[in-house]
Amino acid sequence: MKLFLEKMADIVETVGDFALMVFKGFRYMLTHFRTGDTLIQMDRIGVGSIPIVFLASIFAGLDMALQFEVVMAPYGARALLGKVVTTSIIRDMGPVLASLVMLARVTAGISSELGMMNATQQIDALRVMGVDPLDRLVAPRIFAGIVMMPILSISGDFLALLAGMGISTAIGHVPAPLFWSGVRDALTAQNLTNAFLKPVFFGFILTSIGCFYGIRSSGGAYGVGRSVTKAVVAAAIWILVANFLLSKLLINIWGLS
Amino acid sequence: MIQFESVSLGYGDKVVVSDINIAVPEGKTMVILGDSGSGKSTLLKGVLGILHPMSGRITVDGDSVGDLDEKDILLYRQRIGMVFQEGALFDSLTVGENVGFWLWEHTDWPDDRIEERVRTLLRFVKLEDVIDKRPEALSGGMKRRVAIARAMAPQDPKVMLYDEPTTGLDPFTSRSICDLIRQVQAEFRVMSLVVTHDLHDAFRVGDLFSFIHDSKVILTGDRKTIEESKDPFIRTFLST
Ligand SMILES: Nc1ncnc2c1ncn2[C@@H]1O[C@H](COP(=O)(O)OP(=O)(O)OP(=O)(O)O)[C@@H](O)[C@H]1O
Ligand SMILES: [Mg+2]
Repeated sequence: MKLFLEKMADIVETVGDFALMVFKGFRYMLTHFRTGDTLIQMDRIGVGSIPIVFLASIFAGLDMALQFEVVMAPYGARALLGKVVTTSIIRDMGPVLASLVMLARVTAGISSELGMMNATQQIDALRVMGVDPLDRLVAPRIFAGIVMMPILSISGDFLALLAGMGISTAIGHVPAPLFWSGVRDALTAQNLTNAFLKPVFFGFILTSIGCFYGIRSSGGAYGVGRSVTKAVVAAAIWILVANFLLSKLLINIWGLS
Repeated sequence: MIQFESVSLGYGDKVVVSDINIAVPEGKTMVILGDSGSGKSTLLKGVLGILHPMSGRITVDGDSVGDLDEKDILLYRQRIGMVFQEGALFDSLTVGENVGFWLWEHTDWPDDRIEERVRTLLRFVKLEDVIDKRPEALSGGMKRRVAIARAMAPQDPKVMLYDEPTTGLDPFTSRSICDLIRQVQAEFRVMSLVVTHDLHDAFRVGDLFSFIHDSKVILTGDRKTIEESKDPFIRTFLST
């Protein structure tokens, strides 16, 4: 029982620390925006992730079109293929997949970088020189995540749809115009909101959790390793949880359209 | 003067050093000696105000470090140069950017004025030619030199803190770092606290010496006091 209470107290404290970090990080974005550092992070987080996100999206698009075709063809519902593929990609598959493939680059990258900076006392050095690490290190990364993730994810969605259309016309006997009109049908306000809003949250999760565990890591290389593992696991789970919650929220707003 | 008055420091509820009473007079260098893990770096964190005393107070020129608010601590730290163990240079920045970091962050000096100051500092530590290199391209000794230059950037500092400035260096390089520490002291009339576990280097840079053992200061004094001590721990330290 005592152990359980201690564990709960730990969790509350961790959540409190995280909230404080995020609050201060956003305050720095508003009061002391660092253009240079932020552009560097946007380049590393965003531009650097283009190949992996695009590749993952293309294969996801190919695969979804293939699988849905298998389910739908017997019902003669090929005409709906474009709509179904688009809906599942832009509502769920696209944002979730893009974020999960970014875990390694972004969350692991940030937590190991900041963890190493901590282990080599660079973070202490920042503080001693009168610079808050939340200002210099955390705020630019979170901002970059929030801005770049939607851009990456939506471009990835677009590629996934092209790939889906390609394979459907090639082997599924669904003419491109038919597939494409299905795509257009699926571009509803709710779906587009999903496509845009989810990656904003996921970008926040990927970067803020990476920063949080990186800055708190202690104990040299071993400690950094542990922090990276924790950060990646936590970010993966929170992306899936947030995905569900956002889906639910948007369905509540729009109804089952 | 840097003064520790019955200071205890630690992390969480763990006490690392307790009841520390030492004083560094104006313009002098005190060396803190002790085993690995005895709390030497922890003492420096106390002086920097990164760690607050669990009891007692640390004063520097009359300012009680633990009582400074967020704004005053920044002003206070401008008077302090800290050279971290291994240097703690920012590895995403060049040597020049490291040395100029404080000036970029806290002044609105134009670029050329900052560069001039950076060059002056690097010249002082005899490393002007590595200004555009990254820290990973430097040897251990060069990193310490750059760290010393970076620590002096804010303005001519009043206090210099060195955490194991010679650990891991060969004897020749160690010696040149010790000479540099003395040179900083002579030219800028700073008070210095140097943490080390190397007795030769200690005697090379220090005016006063304090031994930490079992979380206490067991002896403070000049070289003669140390050499004449009968304390068994200090005897073993001296005989190595
Ligand atoms: N951030 C921290 N949290 C908890 N305990 C710490 C922390 N930093 C240091 N300690 C503990 O405090 C004690 C003293 O550490 P400190 O780094 O001051 O020793 P040191 O004398 O500088 O050793 P070294 O010569 O190895 O650098 C050690 O037992 C260490 O485990
Ligand atoms: Mg130490």
